[in-house]
Amino acid sequence: MTGNARRSGPPWSVDLLAELHAGALDPRTEAELRPLVENDPEAREILAALDATLEDLHNLPPIPMPRHVAERIDAALADEARPTAPVIDFAQAKARRAKRLGWGAGLLAAAAVAVGVAVVAIPGNNTAGDGGVAQKDPTAPVTGSAKPPTSGDLPAVRGQNFGPVFGDVLKAQNYGPLENQEKLADCLRGANITAGKPLGVSPITLDDKPAVMAILPAGTPGAYRIVVVDPQTCGPDNPDGVLASSTIQP
Amino acid sequence: MTAAASSDADLITAHAAGDPHAFSELVRRHRDRMWAVALRTLRDPEEAADALQEAFISAFRAAASFRAESQVTTWLHRIVVNACLDRMRRRQTRPTVPLPEAGPGEPVAPRDAMAERETRLVVQAALNELPEEQRAPIVLVDVEGYSVAETAQLLGIAEGTVKSRCARGRAKLAKVLGHLRNQGADANVPVNDVQVQQGRQLEER
Repeated sequence: MTGNARRSGPPWSVDLLAELHAGALDPRTEAELRPLVENDPEAREILAALDATLEDLHNLPPIPMPRHVAERIDAALADEARPTAPVIDFAQAKARRAKRLGWGAGLLAAAAVAVGVAVVAIPGNNTAGDGGVAQKDPTAPVTGSAKPPTSGDLPAVRGQNFGPVFGDVLKAQNYGPLENQEKLADCLRGANITAGKPLGVSPITLDDKPAVMAILPAGTPGAYRIVVVDPQTCGPDNPDGVLASSTIQP
Repeated sequence: MTAAASSDADLITAHAAGDPHAFSELVRRHRDRMWAVALRTLRDPEEAADALQEAFISAFRAAASFRAESQVTTWLHRIVVNACLDRMRRRQTRPTVPLPEAGPGEPVAPRDAMAERETRLVVQAALNELPEEQRAPIVLVDVEGYSVAETAQLLGIAEGTVKSRCARGRAKLAKVLGHLRNQGADANVPVNDVQVQQGRQLEER
């Protein structure tokens, strides 16, 4: 658009007037067009319509980030800050409870030492917000290996090494064979775990067996809980349907 | 170090020094605005959440090499905008997902508030129909209030290009939103704009 504004109007095209309105014309064209437009009622109407459009856009409300998205991002960042954080193993916790009850204490204690993870007791009534605190232990040996998911594969976990699949599960809302949040909640209830909507949930394989992994908020920013259930057997009356439960604190 | 009084630059420095909470605090400060940008450019809450998560993780990893000559906010926003643009480029045409209607504190019942909410929905629907190359600068400049210069920097295009894309987008919106009475000559209005216009007319009754 160079200096031919007079020849192109009136009436001027809406696009040309919008460029004038946006300050997108070169100075010479703008200087030539501006006084002509200001004397043309139809052009002034179009400029007023563009002003009204801008006002509509300015008046769109802010959209705060939903809580579940904020929690998911907090969890992802917390995980990023602690890529090798050890986790609290549910099986170990049950073992410790058994130990307190005097069931096979020596054998279970040896197993706990062998896997080298922090072990806490799971209280009788758990909620997603009251889990224990994982102690970061840089000397803890790797307890398993995991490979990141590849196309067409389920995320695969071995041992208790959830780190490599954490990000993928966090981004997913796929209940797999459990189908929905209610069934997951039923399964968790079997181990006295009360949970709302998971931050992320996905079918995985745990030691080559089909399972469903969920990441739950744990009550404080940056804290979350990893649970893994056996979709074939889990239910409100089966504590053994929960294969793993680990709480990570910031 | 993560006290509210810390500047964004202080938080980046603290993060680089190993403060495990500094980066999360930085994200908390900016996440609402970035969420709005992501949601309005991508139009899909799941995609917006994925884009933001990827962007924040990427920023987390790159923060140690952040150079103080650029503003922390601009740097972080550029990463987010790029993540959104990457997704926009990668994907094919997707159905539009309705956006949340409003922010917190929105009145529930009063008649005026309802009319206002309807108007916002119509405006958002019209915005969603713009071509992506026009929607992104309009979201940044006209909705989120970034300057033309900031937007040019965020989008990696010339300031003149930002202005002309905004101009073309606004012209379409003015027609779609019914601010221009005579829309016959220019035919750049998508088919389903008719529905948007009808919505507005209904709302004005």
